[in-house]
Amino acid sequence: MLIILIIGLDLIYNFTLYKRDLNEKCEQIVEVKTKQKNTDIFYFGESSNFNIRETDSIKNSISEITAFFFPTLTLTSINKPATHAGIYKEWLKQINVNEKKPKAVIVTLNMRSFDAAWIHSRLETQLQESIVLAQSYPNIINRFLLSLQAFDNKTEQQREAEMLKEWETTPLIFPFPFKYKTVREWDNGIAQGTYIKADGSWDHDKITLACHYVKGYAFNIHDNNPRIKDFDEIADWCNKNKVSLYLNLMAENVEYADSLVGKELVFLMKQNRDYLIKRYQKNNCVVVDNLELVDGKEFTDQNWTTEHYGYKGRMIIAKNVAKALNKQFVKEYKNAY
Amino acid sequence: MLFNSLHFLFFLPIVIGLYYLLPQKFRWMLIFISSCYFYMVFVPKYILILFLIIVVDYIAALTIERVQGRLKLFYLIASLTANIGLLAFFKYFNFLNENLVSVFSLFGREFHPVNLSIILPIGLSFHTFQSMSYTVEVYRGRQKAETHLGYFANYVLFFPQMVAGPIERYETLGNELKNVHKPLYQNFSDGFKLILFGLFIKMAVADNIAPYVNQIYADPLKYNSYEVVLSVFLFSFQIYADFFGYSTIALGCARLLGINIMNNFKTPYLAKSVSEFWSRWHISLSTWFRDYLYIPLGGNRVKIPRWSINILIVFMISGLWHGAGWTFVVWGALHGIMLLLERYFSVIFKFEIKKEWSILNAFLVLKTFVVTSFIWIFFRAENFQKAKDMIKAILRNHSFQFAHLEILFPLIFTGLIILFDVFLYNSRFDSKLNTLKTPYRWAFYTVLLFCLMALSGTQKFTFIYFQF
Repeated sequence: MLIILIIGLDLIYNFTLYKRDLNEKCEQIVEVKTKQKNTDIFYFGESSNFNIRETDSIKNSISEITAFFFPTLTLTSINKPATHAGIYKEWLKQINVNEKKPKAVIVTLNMRSFDAAWIHSRLETQLQESIVLAQSYPNIINRFLLSLQAFDNKTEQQREAEMLKEWETTPLIFPFPFKYKTVREWDNGIAQGTYIKADGSWDHDKITLACHYVKGYAFNIHDNNPRIKDFDEIADWCNKNKVSLYLNLMAENVEYADSLVGKELVFLMKQNRDYLIKRYQKNNCVVVDNLELVDGKEFTDQNWTTEHYGYKGRMIIAKNVAKALNKQFVKEYKNAY
Repeated sequence: MLFNSLHFLFFLPIVIGLYYLLPQKFRWMLIFISSCYFYMVFVPKYILILFLIIVVDYIAALTIERVQGRLKLFYLIASLTANIGLLAFFKYFNFLNENLVSVFSLFGREFHPVNLSIILPIGLSFHTFQSMSYTVEVYRGRQKAETHLGYFANYVLFFPQMVAGPIERYETLGNELKNVHKPLYQNFSDGFKLILFGLFIKMAVADNIAPYVNQIYADPLKYNSYEVVLSVFLFSFQIYADFFGYSTIALGCARLLGINIMNNFKTPYLAKSVSEFWSRWHISLSTWFRDYLYIPLGGNRVKIPRWSINILIVFMISGLWHGAGWTFVVWGALHGIMLLLERYFSVIFKFEIKKEWSILNAFLVLKTFVVTSFIWIFFRAENFQKAKDMIKAILRNHSFQFAHLEILFPLIFTGLIILFDVFLYNSRFDSKLNTLKTPYRWAFYTVLLFCLMALSGTQKFTFIYFQF
């Protein structure tokens, strides 16, 4: 009797409140569902796609610039700040494969999304909340689970504790001798006055920035990284449904990483890049490698580690993506710049 | 563990299933283990505090029963000191320090308190009060000391009511826990009804009102007086739905185990006076204070001035029980003052409230609701400044510029809870529902289930009374 009642309530919910809840809680999922029919290429991104420099005369996002190269195709971008593969995969699953499918999906591959700071980010709870309604249970059950907070719903303190623990306990692996064994040790090492001004005082701004680089990029990606599992799922879904997958590996400020922290950090960044390219090329995906393409000055945040670029940086990445897409969409390609 | 969590929805059926599968002699162990687990989901190490309370009061009660004369009193005081000491340390240590700093600065001196980052164990005020009632009753000779440590531990730990009451007496809960309970249809039926209703009022009513109230209380001066007054009234329903919801779920869970615990609420906002309000709101706490503080202070047997002071003492301590802050003391004192004013009025004007419903009584209900709602400001405001801002916002900002706050659902659910209160007047949800014909009953279930599943609040709000 209860089951019949819940089935009935699910029907009522679908006809009445479901759309309102979806719009309120997971705007991106609604976008994927509603725009699918008119989309040839989906671009899933985070702030790297749409963030611009205030002084930019041209304010187009990476996805918009990419679209200019394929005027006859419809490239739809779906964005949410701080998103990662765990969320992209849920967006992807909203595509109804029985209807008109997109021909390709470009998914942002942000290297920092593999690090502890992003995995245990305080924004994670909000991101997880945004996909509860998209689960494969009946919609009314999903809505109830949302009310019960039945998702990865940790407090900011819990997430911070997990992040600190990972920095303290996860060993950094180098093929050469290196004095720091963990992120915590490396961070502490740099914090002990690595940068000294001419007057003998510590250059705190530089030290802080160098520490950010260590926390943001000092890690070895391995098979058990949760993001790897997410990207694997994305790749599997695309392979299964015959949709081309382009992983857009975002440019990082390798120049500053080198000058502020040193070659060891750059080694890790490149090693991680190589790992990702190798893993996903094997899995029929195209990895668009932008890691070292953008100059340090082209990053809009000079005192922080972000993947936010000025127009020149966005153009370089868009061109690189278009170049990769050109192999699939030869006829549709038009050299726009 | 929260009642409104998926974790609990899995935990409860497992406990119920195992409970009826186990022979009676092992059931206390199951209740003990599941209660410990239930509590340890919050902060595991704090279970040790509960164990300490259990051991101290268990030994104290046995000793009190065995010894004679002044030694009896000595052991009672030792037990009460241990309980109140724990409560004072965890709940009032920082409050005391803050006040000492203020007092010293008043005399131009400096006081440097020891800063302890203490987290108040959830429900500590409830456990200590429940446990203290047991030792006092043993001392008074009205209760036999429990020899079985397991049963006594379960009395303090019983998971449905351990973190937010009702504050039960050993005479009732202790015996209920010992009785042999069979899996009866009526118990399951009533239990599920109560849980459904409790979840509905917590998750659909309280959690839908909370965002509106929280926004206003965060910065009252940003809003106009109408919005602020509305938030004052809405908070009355929020805290009622929150606490009544918890208590109803607790009743339902206990009922599924065949155990009866007391009703903590009886439609309090239909009370015609403040004194009647307190016989309908958080009944287990009111009766605790009546039996263990008000009556020992002299009760009704003393002269009016002394009686008035006693009432104020009881209400101020009750305020302090709720929270370590002067706002809570003021909240309690205001209730005490209102109660005294009502009593003086009825004595001077020989006014008696009649039981039959009339326009006058409806007016009195409204008056009591308005009075208690405005007194809640001191309970809800984080400090006096916020309470002052609330009052200032009510009195000064009469502009018609409305902030676009989400108000539809809070108002709909407030309307629903009022209707439910009128429907339930003086009766419990399960027994009232049992008087209805099957189609009407199922209509109720359908509406409640739909509201619960599709319209509950989506933000996380723990039960307000957990902090006490």
